Amino acid sequence: MQEILTQEKSIYLQISELLENDILRDILLEEERVPSTNELAKLYVINPATAAKGINILVEQGILYKKRGIGMFVATGAKAAIKKRRKEEFFDNYVKTLLVEAESLGISKEELIGMLQNTMK
Amino acid sequence: MEEKLVCRDIMKQYGKVKVLEDIDLELEKGKIYGLIGRNGAGKTTLLSILSAQNPATAGSVTLNGEPVWENREALSHICFSREINPLRDNGKGLKVKDYLRAAAIYMPGWDAEMAKRLMEKFGLDIRKPVMKLSKGMLSMITIIIALASKADYTFLDEPVAGLDVVVREQFYRILLEEFAESGRTFVVSTHIIEEAADLFEEVIMIDKGKMLLKENAQELVERAIYISGKEDAVDVAIAGLHCLHTEKMGRSKGATLLLEKGQSIKASEEITVQPVSLQRLFVSMCGEEN
Repeated sequence: MQEILTQEKSIYLQISELLENDILRDILLEEERVPSTNELAKLYVINPATAAKGINILVEQGILYKKRGIGMFVATGAKAAIKKRRKEEFFDNYVKTLLVEAESLGISKEELIGMLQNTMK
Repeated sequence: MEEKLVCRDIMKQYGKVKVLEDIDLELEKGKIYGLIGRNGAGKTTLLSILSAQNPATAGSVTLNGEPVWENREALSHICFSREINPLRDNGKGLKVKDYLRAAAIYMPGWDAEMAKRLMEKFGLDIRKPVMKLSKGMLSMITIIIALASKADYTFLDEPVAGLDVVVREQFYRILLEEFAESGRTFVVSTHIIEEAADLFEEVIMIDKGKMLLKENAQELVERAIYISGKEDAVDVAIAGLHCLHTEKMGRSKGATLLLEKGQSIKASEEITVQPVSLQRLFVSMCGEEN
């Protein structure tokens, strides 16, 4: 929860991402309460409606769930679900950008595969 | 009846000069609005009309359906904490505590306990003559009056002017805390857009007396993008889109765009697409070169 927000991306997306990161790193455990909208708002100095929007993304994905009158909790299986989704996004977020940059630099397919193989050894 | 503060077709004229025109605005309960505009855009005039400190030349302001002008009941729910000018406001002999006492008389919901707590937090001395306060200290007093008024609709005009960055951050947190606890409506005008942008749920932008937009702050910023690259590639990419501002250097071109819902531009090896901050969007919309 101590990541710093940047201007590069929508604040609510950053909120949902940093909660996900905390779940992946076991800073927030499954079936544990996550900070409330107002707690997040105060910590990051953002509007509570924006913090709520970030939390709601995770509720819609089943990563968090609401316990009436108590707050938001990390769902069982959240960690695996986040990993699965991020793997799916990996192609768009990393591989595609990699290919765009490689193409503008004129790096050939063989060169690129060679680089990957050498680094992963 | 839904609770809101509404102004319709507000026009304000001083002599022959129209300082506000065609202002239609609905302020809902429980939101923080950011009011942004350049110097002389009409922000303070608008806030003074909304709080019936200044009559509009034409148009109406209503709170929950009731006109606010000379309406004591309605006005007890509205607080416009103006910038204090000790010379103009006949404040020569006045001390800080006299100002607070006056505020307590005008605002029926006055929270003396909160005022005291904030005075201590900001390290202010209530026995100090207002004349002897620095610009930053005067801003602190207007903040304290605004927050302790407990008014449902509270307007802060340039609350952070003259405050150092530590106190500004303190103020933003205090504001959020009070907002979370009370669900009051705040309208905050500011020139320090970059820092305050994330506080706002909605942004109201005015320029030369006219309202440019009122929109959810996050959605607005998401619609704004900056694209750059070789001039012809950029021209192809922005064709048919709402372009706010362009700049050229040699063969390169940059364009600030405001996309409509459903429109999008993908980065390619030809063009770079970058997000635009609220401050940069504001400059593109209200800057001189347009």
